[in-house]
Amino acid sequence: MTQNSALRESSNEPSSVVVRTVIVVNQLGLHARPAAQLAQESQNFKAEITIICDSQEVDAKSILDILTLAAAQGSSLELKAEGVDSVEALDCLEELFKSKFGEEK
Amino acid sequence: MAREVVSGISVSTGIAIGKAYFLNRSISSNLPRQTVPVHMNAGEKERLQYGFEEAVSELSAIREKVPAELKEHKLIIDSHLMMLKDPKLLKAATKYIDDLCINAEWALDKAVNDLEKAFGALEDKYIRERMQDVCQVAQRVQAKLIGGEEHLRPIEGRAVLMAHDLSPADTIELEVNKLMAFVTTLGGKTSHTGILARTLNIPALVGAEKIESSIVDGDLVIVDGLAGKILVDPDEEELEHYYTLQTQFEAYQSTIIKSCQLPAETEDGYRVQVLANIELVEEISAVIDNGGEGIGLFRTEYAYLNRQELPDEEELYEKYSELAEIMSPRKVVLRTLDLGADKFMSYFGSLDEANPAMGLRAIRFCLKHEDIFNTQLRAILRASVHGNISIMFPMISGLKEIHQAKAALAKAQIELAAEGIPYDQNMQVGVMIELPAAVMIAEILAQEVDFFSIGTNDLIQYSLGIDRTNPHVSYLYQPLHPAIVRSIKYVVDAGHKAGIGVSLCGEVASDPYCVPILMGMQIDSLSLTPQAIPGIKRILRQLGMQECKQLLKEVLQCRTVARINRLVTDNIYKKYPEELVFFASLLDNEEIIG
Repeated sequence: MTQNSALRESSNEPSSVVVRTVIVVNQLGLHARPAAQLAQESQNFKAEITIICDSQEVDAKSILDILTLAAAQGSSLELKAEGVDSVEALDCLEELFKSKFGEEK
Repeated sequence: MAREVVSGISVSTGIAIGKAYFLNRSISSNLPRQTVPVHMNAGEKERLQYGFEEAVSELSAIREKVPAELKEHKLIIDSHLMMLKDPKLLKAATKYIDDLCINAEWALDKAVNDLEKAFGALEDKYIRERMQDVCQVAQRVQAKLIGGEEHLRPIEGRAVLMAHDLSPADTIELEVNKLMAFVTTLGGKTSHTGILARTLNIPALVGAEKIESSIVDGDLVIVDGLAGKILVDPDEEELEHYYTLQTQFEAYQSTIIKSCQLPAETEDGYRVQVLANIELVEEISAVIDNGGEGIGLFRTEYAYLNRQELPDEEELYEKYSELAEIMSPRKVVLRTLDLGADKFMSYFGSLDEANPAMGLRAIRFCLKHEDIFNTQLRAILRASVHGNISIMFPMISGLKEIHQAKAALAKAQIELAAEGIPYDQNMQVGVMIELPAAVMIAEILAQEVDFFSIGTNDLIQYSLGIDRTNPHVSYLYQPLHPAIVRSIKYVVDAGHKAGIGVSLCGEVASDPYCVPILMGMQIDSLSLTPQAIPGIKRILRQLGMQECKQLLKEVLQCRTVARINRLVTDNIYKKYPEELVFFASLLDNEEIIG
């Protein structure tokens, strides 16, 4: 497991709350394009997904919310998902962070 | 007398007379704000939902129409779509309807204002500026809510397009062939609107702040792109004057266009090269159509602005090679990245600098960000085999920077050679002379490079210590200040002494009052905006080298700007009384009169 991937996972049971910590590794931080990708992917899941950054908690399905986090490179974020597909949802989002949102080839 | 005269910044010249057609206005003005009875809340919420849905389908349809080559347009529209589909904005507005019993327009406006506050508090300037996108998106929804009329009404006859702001999406939708001019409240000299208008060859004014309060749809207006003003509801006399001026301008345009492919040669046979300043590959056709003999300044910043990631080598290589190939065998001078000051990459946001014009910009920025510089240098080198490419470094202040920039270039050459990738080993290397320090050591710098290009816009600002966008001191922006004339002459002489060519790019090159003086110095080439080439070429062809040298001699004896301006104006005006009407000059007219 690499440094930017899941550091802890509180539960694997379906339909329960799943929490993971990710690090923003891409140089740009959560700027418009990554924010759009993140929101778009989140919208594909039924689970309620939130992103927590320094005690600020926002809706992962909202590009505007994500932008207002202004999370720079190196920020540590907590992803929280609640719902039937919460594990899949976080797997998918975690992958986005890992792939640096396709920013660098 | 016209009911009102509104001033603006001309970004494309010409005269247009027509009816005002408002594409959009600022969202907050004219917005219906009403309270509604509780039982009607559900209806308002439905309207709001409908407004969002309509805006999404409208924008999706526009997205499909975006031509493939406008990738950046498409990406902007994509992020706008995401914002429209964002549940947050709709939810916040809906909550306002529930809580305050207000109409959908007002509720949305309040929700947008809240967001504006949240964004305004952010430290990251790039993200803060995304608020402009949110506003454009909200404006689209508001347009659906208000009146329920089509966002774009059909344009009847030929119209003068007025808008608060023209977004890339707007320009895709427009029936541009029916438009006679563009006028916008927002925008500056480099806005997208200007590029579009110049391509269409219609006048355009930006920064015309008063249009929304002074003009309504259907008003008869005259757009004077020569003087940068709009006459609202003009009288008979003004109409007549402008119809005549328009006819004269069109006749003049067709005359100069006819002769623009002739070489730029003075009456007595002195040949000067007339090149173009551009920043988009799409502008090449304008360069060729207007008789440009090459590209004296290709600004490479555009590929780095308004986007979130850096362009890669392949993308830059493709762009530069296309440019070189189409222009070949004519020359193309690529200026390496000149970011900073007023242009920032989204990638970095703006640096927190108290004085960005004197900050980490241009070559300084590139030498600090070696990777970014290396990518661009490799792309330029690779493209150099496809045509006649030269490279020049901006903002050089001393020898060390030239050595460092050349070392970076050599490194890229070694890399390419090792990878077996071809490049032109004889590519010419030049520097921009735009700092007073570079002027003073021009003789030393000349030993190191193949050519000089004098960037007068910056040279004037740095020499006279003024920011010309600052209205308090812009009166001091004097291209013919004795210090400037001497500086330019010194650089030309230093270049010639060392046997290298000296070019001049900057607005001075397209000023009919300044050009004869430059000719007197025996400048080798002038680089100007493509649309100004035919007029300047025509002026050049009527000049005699002897009179230019004589004029220069007299100018150098003057002790004040006022004296120089008067001398030049008298001289030039005597020679071209008719055609000077069609030129805007950088000379301060008040100073001439006074």
